[in-house]
Amino acid sequence: MAGPSVNALADRVADKNVASIFIYTHEAHPGENYHHLTSLEQKLQHAHDLRDKLGITRDILIDALDGACHCAYGSMPNMTWIFSRSMQPIYKSDWTDSNSVANAIDYFLDITDRRQNREKLAPFHVERVDYRNADREAFYKGLERNGPKAVEEFRNAIG
Amino acid sequence: MADQDLITRYNYDEFTAEKYQPWMRFNESPALGQPAPDFPLTRLDGSQATLKEIVSSHTYTIAEFGSFT
Repeated sequence: MAGPSVNALADRVADKNVASIFIYTHEAHPGENYHHLTSLEQKLQHAHDLRDKLGITRDILIDALDGACHCAYGSMPNMTWIFSRSMQPIYKSDWTDSNSVANAIDYFLDITDRRQNREKLAPFHVERVDYRNADREAFYKGLERNGPKAVEEFRNAIG
Repeated sequence: MADQDLITRYNYDEFTAEKYQPWMRFNESPALGQPAPDFPLTRLDGSQATLKEIVSSHTYTIAEFGSFT
């Protein structure tokens, strides 16, 4: 999870009327310290820990226990979406990388400026492959917070 | 009322391919540039919100999905 770097991005663009939220989903790697979810109260507690222990400073909102919102948007473990005011997604990424998100939001803010300068613009679709940090050692350190079970299961499943 | 079996499968108890892979559905997610679905969400203080009410009051909204683990 790219927590601190996305927090910094959120702070940078907040005065441009950009909201940055974190939607709490399900436990991707449950372990002895953070079990799989069985109640909304437990989900709320884990979300508080996300704020207090992992330092997520953005507004955290909890999805329903059945993951209705998460599932409707593709249920990837750490994806990011950007919405326009009209509730249309204009960026979707199956993983979160702060550089990718920053690149996208800066582009869209520039579009807003250009429209305010009466430039005539029309939308088009683009596909692109972006790159995220893939530090496996750091990832395993994160898994250790969840408990040995999470580490062992990831090692068995992915290596 | 949410289906209990769905809740159990979604909140899987172990990270094994047969349990997590069915949820990797990014290719079935909403299209860009089209109206997307709204959902109720709960704030940390327990109050209710919706995705749409947040999105519609900002020029742009960045939404990261994830969890502690």
